[in-house]
Amino acid sequence: MIYFCKESIKMKKLISLSLIMIISIFIFSGCTAEKVENTITIADQYGLAYAPVQIMKDKELLENSTENVKIKWKKLANTAAIREAMLAGEVDIGFMAIPPFLIGKDKGMEWKIISGLSICPLGLMTYKESIKTLADISENDRIALPQPGSVQHILLAMAAKREFGNPARFDNQLVTMAHPDGMNALLSRKEITIHFTSPPYIFKESEEKGIHQILNGIEAFGGEFSFIVGVGTEDFYNNYPEVYRVFLQSLEQSIEFINSNPGQAARLLTENYDISEIDLKKYITWPGMNYDDKIRGLDDFFDFMQEAQYIGSKDMNISQLLWEEDLYEK
Amino acid sequence: MKNNKLLQRIFWLIFLVLIWQIVFWSGRFSPLVFPSLTTIIKALAGSLYNGELTQQLLFSLLIISQGLLISLVLAIFMALAAHFSGIAASLIDTLVALAHPLPGIALMPLVLIWFGAGRQAILFVIIHSVLWPMVLNLRTGFSSIPDIYILVGKNYGLDRLQILIQIMAPASLPYFLVGLKIGWARSWRALISAEMLFGAVNSIGGLGWFIFQKRVFFDLPGVFAGIIVIIIIGILVEDLIFNNIENRTVKRWGMKS
Repeated sequence: MIYFCKESIKMKKLISLSLIMIISIFIFSGCTAEKVENTITIADQYGLAYAPVQIMKDKELLENSTENVKIKWKKLANTAAIREAMLAGEVDIGFMAIPPFLIGKDKGMEWKIISGLSICPLGLMTYKESIKTLADISENDRIALPQPGSVQHILLAMAAKREFGNPARFDNQLVTMAHPDGMNALLSRKEITIHFTSPPYIFKESEEKGIHQILNGIEAFGGEFSFIVGVGTEDFYNNYPEVYRVFLQSLEQSIEFINSNPGQAARLLTENYDISEIDLKKYITWPGMNYDDKIRGLDDFFDFMQEAQYIGSKDMNISQLLWEEDLYEK
Repeated sequence: MKNNKLLQRIFWLIFLVLIWQIVFWSGRFSPLVFPSLTTIIKALAGSLYNGELTQQLLFSLLIISQGLLISLVLAIFMALAAHFSGIAASLIDTLVALAHPLPGIALMPLVLIWFGAGRQAILFVIIHSVLWPMVLNLRTGFSSIPDIYILVGKNYGLDRLQILIQIMAPASLPYFLVGLKIGWARSWRALISAEMLFGAVNSIGGLGWFIFQKRVFFDLPGVFAGIIVIIIIGILVEDLIFNNIENRTVKRWGMKS
């Protein structure tokens, strides 16, 4: 009997403890991170494809033409991090390739594309003499690329679909590596035999002896496409229409600046890229390297990713993918 | 008493699950950030059903047992050497002092160069995270054996090997088990983080790779499914394996209440 009493006291304790926990959870849920008013955060990644963003930041184009708005710049290591930061409301504008944007859109992210940024040479690089085409890639080869679902992965899948009818043909041979790690792994000539990469790593690798290209981005895609686009959240578009305008203008200005003064741009960029001014100028004017605010290739990416089931089957029209359609090019 | 403990655990589990669901129902967070339990369970069931998760789980468990076994053998060897030789002891103590505070993740860039991004790399990281705490625990275990036990053994005319097996091993078992528990927990962490960094080391990959894949495809319920599997495995190993070993040995022998 006494034993029973003890148990019920324990039970009561347990219940009251749980009540306290419930209450405290509700109290603390009140103080989740509130967004600081009037701050716009812009996030991009490493690589030459983002050069106009760097110019825009260095020349303070956006800061100079907005009032009462604080601009914050962030560099994040990969697209997934940008996507998560945008979901958390920490980042308003993010730069990424089209496939990761579509994956997020498909899963319900409230975001749309603002503008294009760059068209870049992408390539599948190898040190193995024996690999001349995709068909020469054996099961033992390992392919380094930034991550599954990245534009490099989707391009590889597109090429695999076209040549072998199976987009997933190489999916079990992928190794996730950021571009610098992937380059080092390829150059050490060990088990990473192939690297799908972008500028400036693709330039450095192609200047290396014994490294050659199996496939380029345009062949894989079947035409030209925007490599990187700028994406804005719904929150940003609805609440900051003037900043949106100014952002687009500044972006156009810096793209124009790079295209018309590559020498000056290289001088400005060299501080941030750890590449010499001469090499930088060579890289940003490399054939196929094109800074451009048009959005190209969106439909083809969408159709392919839907067919290969990287995204769901619900159809979207162009106004669900772009905030404004005047930069869209079919 | 035992039943009571189980009941309490179940109570708390249900309690936490309820809180989760209440937060979801409150609608404070977008379902993208805070998915409901049903979508998480659906994701879990889906991944288990198509065999993807099961294979990756088996692969992870296999590589962990391998790492644990190698570390165990190395640790016993090192602890014994240190126990019987002063020079070995000072060397091993120095090694432990150097390597124990070093997180496996900090070694990743080197591991990539030395071993590549393959299976050995992950194995190396696991062994590194398990070996040192295990050596430390075994050393403490051996040195905590009262001299009188050994002396009694000598009185019985036991030789060194017999003393080792019949007296030192059981007498240091509680420490050994603690070392094993720490090793197990740390090997899980090492494995998951290594896999998330390296990606798939073979064609299937392990649990860490599963979570990473779900992350890059923005499948949050899938991420939670992976985490739940890790939790369940952790609870099962703790409750079933370690508790059973303890009940049959140190508790039965009266070394631990």
